[in-house]
Amino acid sequence: MNQILKILSKVLLASLMLTIVVGGTTSCNSKKKLAKERAEAHAAEVNRAKRDLNNIINGETTWTLDQQAERVAAIKAKNWGNADVDDLVEQAEETISKKRAEAERLAEEERLKREEEARLRANQSEFAVIDNQLASIADATSVDEANMLINTALNQYATPDIPVLIIISQAGGFNDYDRPTTISKFLNYLKDKKQYKYKVESVKRDNMGKITEMELIVK
Amino acid sequence: MKKLSYLLIFVIGLGFTGFAQDDLSPERKQAVDSLAMEKVRDLSKYISIIGSKETPWSEANRVIDRAEELFMQGSEIGVSSLVRPEVSYYGVRKYLERLMRLNYSKVEISWYNIEYVSDLQKQPDGTYVGVITIFQKFKGYDKEGKLIYQDTTKKDITVYVKRKETQIGGRLIGFWDVLLGDIRVKETSK
Repeated sequence: MNQILKILSKVLLASLMLTIVVGGTTSCNSKKKLAKERAEAHAAEVNRAKRDLNNIINGETTWTLDQQAERVAAIKAKNWGNADVDDLVEQAEETISKKRAEAERLAEEERLKREEEARLRANQSEFAVIDNQLASIADATSVDEANMLINTALNQYATPDIPVLIIISQAGGFNDYDRPTTISKFLNYLKDKKQYKYKVESVKRDNMGKITEMELIVK
Repeated sequence: MKKLSYLLIFVIGLGFTGFAQDDLSPERKQAVDSLAMEKVRDLSKYISIIGSKETPWSEANRVIDRAEELFMQGSEIGVSSLVRPEVSYYGVRKYLERLMRLNYSKVEISWYNIEYVSDLQKQPDGTYVGVITIFQKFKGYDKEGKLIYQDTTKKDITVYVKRKETQIGGRLIGFWDVLLGDIRVKETSK
């Protein structure tokens, strides 16, 4: 009986040891596998991050600037301590910053352009009235009619002596002018020449709305 | 030595600035040519208005003032006639006043074939000088409306164009000042 117990206890011990050995080995394999999987997942995530960052840097993404910034911030928050990723994050942030500045500049340009177009439209309709009035003096059928139109027109000017500048050419943002004249002389000139071949380019007004300076351009 | 270098750079710089302003591109030169030509056309219109017996006296006098402003001081205008071999020269104002008082009941004056015979050329003082030729057709009628005198005169007009500057509304405005000089009679025919 003792003999049997001894053998049984040995068998049990051996079984236990086998269980421990086998079990331990299995557990170790599982941990390694897990670690490997984690490492692979991390590497994939890093690669995905690098790909996204490169796309942002090279302008090869369809994301909006806000989406790009969010993605870069998310990558940065991982704080992997990967020198390549950190370098790419820095470049991507710089790229986004430049693109934002460019977008803001373009938006500002667009806003100014729209403002200028609106101003020109307003001016054109305002100037068209002046152009028509000046043309009507040139088209007058008699000296008396022309003089009457001149007197009416002069009411819109601060004085009969306000300067009238006539641009004869524009090149490279540089205006060439004829000898400056006065509105009174210019209106009479139109009466004498019976021809209006100009276009109002700009006017300055006083706080009463009267014109104090006018610039015309030869058509 | 250093000061001399700075002075030289400054002087050369000034020279380039002057060159840039005075050296006209073909487009600007064309605009100045046209401007000078337009002043001659203005004079043509003024002469026609002043000579016309239908022009009210006050208007004629106003136009004389405008016409006189087109000329350089001391300029003269030649007058010829088919009945007189010599050409008489008058000061601009005197010529225009005589034109206003011509002893005809109706006067028609027209200028045509107005063109440059000598293009505007830059002179050492920066002034551009050219000569424009015109043909003037003169017709004088009596009170019955009968044509009693007519001639055609070829005249040469010297034009002077100079770049000047003036302050307007606190701005410095560079402009081309065109002034007409003497008007010389070249030939007169029927």
